[in-house]
Amino acid sequence: MFAYQLRLAWKSLRRNPGLSILSVVGIGLGIGVATTFVTTYYMLSGNPIPQKSDKLFYVQLDSWSPERSYDRDHPDLPPDQVTYRDMAEIMKSKIPTHAGGMFKADLTVHPAGDGQKPFRQLVRMCFADFFPMFDVPFQFGSGWDARADAGPEAVIVLDDEINRKLFGGENSVGRTLLIEDREFRIVGVLAPWKPLPKFYDVTNDPFDAPEGIFMPFNFVRPMEINTAGNTSNWGDGSGDGFEGFLQSETVWIQMWAQLEDEEQVQTYRAFLDAYVNEQKKLGRFPRPINNRLSPVMTMLKDQGAAPEEAVGVLIIAILFLVVCSVNLIGVLLGKFLARAPEVGVRRALGASRRWVFVQHLVECELIAVLGAVLGLGLAALGLELLNRMFEAQFAFRLDLPMVGAGVLLALVSGLVAGIYPAYRICRIAPAMYLKTQ
Amino acid sequence: MLRMEKVAKIYRTEHVETHALSEITLHVREGEFLAMMGPSGSGKTTFLNIAGLLDTFEAGTFHLDGEDVSRLDDVRSSRIRNAKIGFVFQSFNLIPDLDVFDNVDVPLRYRGLASRARREAIEEALEIVGLTSRAKHHPAQLSGGQQQRVAIARALVGRPRLILADEPTGNLDSAMANEILDLLEKINSTGATVVMVTHDPELAQRASRQVHMLDGRVIDLEAERPAPLAAGHSSSARS
Repeated sequence: MFAYQLRLAWKSLRRNPGLSILSVVGIGLGIGVATTFVTTYYMLSGNPIPQKSDKLFYVQLDSWSPERSYDRDHPDLPPDQVTYRDMAEIMKSKIPTHAGGMFKADLTVHPAGDGQKPFRQLVRMCFADFFPMFDVPFQFGSGWDARADAGPEAVIVLDDEINRKLFGGENSVGRTLLIEDREFRIVGVLAPWKPLPKFYDVTNDPFDAPEGIFMPFNFVRPMEINTAGNTSNWGDGSGDGFEGFLQSETVWIQMWAQLEDEEQVQTYRAFLDAYVNEQKKLGRFPRPINNRLSPVMTMLKDQGAAPEEAVGVLIIAILFLVVCSVNLIGVLLGKFLARAPEVGVRRALGASRRWVFVQHLVECELIAVLGAVLGLGLAALGLELLNRMFEAQFAFRLDLPMVGAGVLLALVSGLVAGIYPAYRICRIAPAMYLKTQ
Repeated sequence: MLRMEKVAKIYRTEHVETHALSEITLHVREGEFLAMMGPSGSGKTTFLNIAGLLDTFEAGTFHLDGEDVSRLDDVRSSRIRNAKIGFVFQSFNLIPDLDVFDNVDVPLRYRGLASRARREAIEEALEIVGLTSRAKHHPAQLSGGQQQRVAIARALVGRPRLILADEPTGNLDSAMANEILDLLEKINSTGATVVMVTHDPELAQRASRQVHMLDGRVIDLEAERPAPLAAGHSSSARS
């Protein structure tokens, strides 16, 4: 019976192609806009590393002032970054599967090629564990090892974009690159990788693109590399000179640990508490112990990484879809009521009100499905447009769940738009139309 | 087959109350071919709508094929319409998008028959009305008489016990009208009860019984004759 109703719906659409196209385009526009912004919201607020987000923990230690909390609006939250000395100490723990402090720097790259001028480039200073901990994909080579961390050895990893810019996208592993005044050997080139949000460092804009170059953290001291990210301090401020900065209470490093299970989490938590208690004996950590190990999604929520603008745009997009659906109600009502004589005949021949109602809903849903096909195409174009507008930051794509969401939105819209017209047509008195056709 | 007792139908507007049927009583026996005549506005179509379960009424009782159908819900009345009643309309009322085959198929679709059973029934119905070769034609490609034959095929395809024909020859010339009457007689001869509304006294004479409607009341012309009705075709009507 459904196949018959679907066939009747298709015939009905073909009967008035202009009106049908108007209906499909109307709902398609709504679906296109709504799916585009549902997808952006989904990707901006979604889980950037779903395969292990519950095993990756952002480490926070409350080394802040006894006078006031770090965040006045959320006094229970410790600073969102750690000091260099704390990072260096807790990095000695062997409890986590992987762990690492990191920050971003802004360094000068001197390309070797003719005609290429030096340029400033954001560099992520990190440890070898960064790559396996965050499942960073490589197209050539790999990350460096712990020995390179300890050296430190002059090795770097490039991202796909910088590798294209400097080496035309070729396998550049083994080649060298002059950064500031040192020559670094390239050991790996990443495959395209743009986690949204950039969860491993949300202290600046969580929707910034990942840095183009990755360098062993321990070059921070010999090269006196300053952070290009946020710094916060209290007490004696940022210290005298670079070494003073490193030893100060300034928080500027993001610290992560990979912990496989609750037991490992508890063990590491105990280690952090013991470390802070030790530091308290030395006169540091004046506030009550408030160490935090936050899984990725908790950390993103605490740091407010979902952009409020995305929520606003999402609401507007859904409202636009509602307007499209309401507009469709009028179109369908006119179309269905014009068909009252045919419905009268069908009722006389044995169609119940319910059958007529369902038949017309099927037609609405067919319009919705066609609208979904058009809308998903428009959404793909819309997302591509956004990607081109924000090329460095975003890589929005219409994945399977979002295609499903688009189809679901279309079906719900078709249902919402179709219920009243279908109800009206199924309630007509057939006798009125049988004599007058 | 059809037994109405004191059935009344009133159309109301804010200021006017129209008694379309004034407590009519009419019995139609199984296998009868009844012709109903009367001037426009006398209540013939209202009677057919109620007889076809397409309209409700204010007072009285209505039994169809032994079942009280006075107050049925929509699902039940739709089922009875589909299973027991075939309609033939003056303006044919074919669905223009559907070809002849699919038009005849419509009532069978609501019955949930398998494809093969439907096809056999449709082919048989089209053969009865002589339109097998036009199965793939659309209504606009047929003459008025052919369209009415399609409508008759659609009415009889589900083997209904009752055929209700509302001025089935009203839009046809006399030759075509006679052809349609031939068909209705043929259907009646297979045992189906036929109730036909017509303005044409000549065609009405071909029915086994005639009743007249006037101002919402039934006048049974047969009942006014001195001779008694033949066995099997007896009926009574009161207004």
